[in-house]
Amino acid sequence: MLPLRELQAAFETALRGGPAASAAAEILGDGLAPEARLAIYRHHVFTTLTAALEAIYPVVCRLVHEQFFRYAADQYVRAYPPSGPCLFEYGNSFPTFLADFEPCKHLPYLPDVARLEWALNCATHAEESAALDGSALLRLPTEDLPRLTLRLQPSLALLSSPWPIDQIWHVNQPGADSDALVDLASGGVYLEVRQSEDDSVFRTLDPATHAFRDALSGGACLAEAADIAFEMDGVFDVPQALRNLFAEQLPVDYAVSVPSPEDA
Amino acid sequence: MTEREAIAAAVPRAAGIGLRAPHVQEILATRPPIAWLEVHAENYVGGGPALRGLNLIRRDYPVSLHGVGLSLGSAHGLDANHLRRLAALIERVEPVLVSEHLSWSVAGGAYLNHLLPLPYTEESLEILSRHVGQVQLALGRQLLVENPSSYLRFRHSPIPEPEFLAELVRRTGCGLLCDVNNIYVSAHNLAFDAAAYVDALPREPVQEIHVAGHARNDADGLTVLIDDHGSRVRPEVWKLYAYALARFGRIATLVEWDTDIPALDVLLAEACVADGLLYRARAGASCAATA
Repeated sequence: MLPLRELQAAFETALRGGPAASAAAEILGDGLAPEARLAIYRHHVFTTLTAALEAIYPVVCRLVHEQFFRYAADQYVRAYPPSGPCLFEYGNSFPTFLADFEPCKHLPYLPDVARLEWALNCATHAEESAALDGSALLRLPTEDLPRLTLRLQPSLALLSSPWPIDQIWHVNQPGADSDALVDLASGGVYLEVRQSEDDSVFRTLDPATHAFRDALSGGACLAEAADIAFEMDGVFDVPQALRNLFAEQLPVDYAVSVPSPEDA
Repeated sequence: MTEREAIAAAVPRAAGIGLRAPHVQEILATRPPIAWLEVHAENYVGGGPALRGLNLIRRDYPVSLHGVGLSLGSAHGLDANHLRRLAALIERVEPVLVSEHLSWSVAGGAYLNHLLPLPYTEESLEILSRHVGQVQLALGRQLLVENPSSYLRFRHSPIPEPEFLAELVRRTGCGLLCDVNNIYVSAHNLAFDAAAYVDALPREPVQEIHVAGHARNDADGLTVLIDDHGSRVRPEVWKLYAYALARFGRIATLVEWDTDIPALDVLLAEACVADGLLYRARAGASCAATA
């Protein structure tokens, strides 16, 4: 008889698809091989985690077909089991896993489609904050504006891809035209993902707006974000971009960054 | 009023259903006459539309939080972060009941997404008691602990499950959630008498009953019942439920359905069956009290 900690370690090994002998030695067969009883539990672990991945990555599942998806999910679950009990948080490394997964190397856009689906999943479950009223900024001295930093809605995600993953996503929705073709050579996209009333949505942005918002959401101040946007678009309209953020209720808080000693 | 009386006052002694995502909008739109609803806590510890829907529903219906992820039986201890998230959810939702399982799910940092079996030993009892105590302290309220469905017996597990639960209640003051389908499934799989199990559970701590459907699978020529919550409650489980009501009295009963989730009406019809048996149990109980 093993102490509970060792018994659970033996079960963990067996239920993740590893050797089952140590766990099997602890249980009675009662008319079945002890391993067959463990297999009942292992089957549940794998099928429910695969179902959780399928729910988060339905387009990936459609692109590779269900049978292959199950194979990939099986390999993923073995290597990267959940670290916590909330299944809507499981699968964040699946896009990276797919990028390195030899059998789907011929689908170079697949990891980026997965990243989009993961961003949509995160946005659906994010806790949104009350939007910041733009009039709050009117109180700021003008000389502080370049050092303004904004915290944006937690559900916001910005991603880009060299592949038309937006079109790929749309033609693989339930009810989409099954004959629709996507021209993979049509170029890349800059996308913004946000929570919606019922789940989450994405839309395309122009590269400069995408870069501006991405910089701000990464903690850059307004001057830095504007510089990054200007690199993409020499006539980027910063005041309008700022107004758009507030019109879309994206900022939830603001601060004025302290100048670093070298700036002083 | 004692804590038990306070809970009894808040929890309808009637049938409720497990609230699942596909039914939220329909329930909000049609407000069906259902006594109460239960949700899986782990689906709501984030934010977003799910939590917004639950916040609307809890205005009109008593809601119970049923945890599947605390892993009360893990030898290496509880997940403090998850416990904090659960406490925050309870503060928001103000559930009438909070329950978890006599099981474990976490070992070696991996969450195995299953309610895994424990050997019923003094060591397990100490670990469970410590964790249930920690949870009740962190949540500031009583926890109901549910009997699991089982597919195996351990070589060394000297304490019968009902006795183990009774001792857990004695040591921690927790309540019990009696899952009648789990008793039926385990009794078949491990060849024990389901009615005798019900008789062996302490009467007073049982504050909620679960019923659900199960599947019959063939494993190398042996029929194994699988607690898949994927069909109507089977007649033999309704029979055991009526037997349990005769012992525990008229208490909150929940119909669970988690795989192949049917139309809301099907779940409501199942709840009606439970309500019918609850009504008869009350009549029976009052007869017995008079006799």
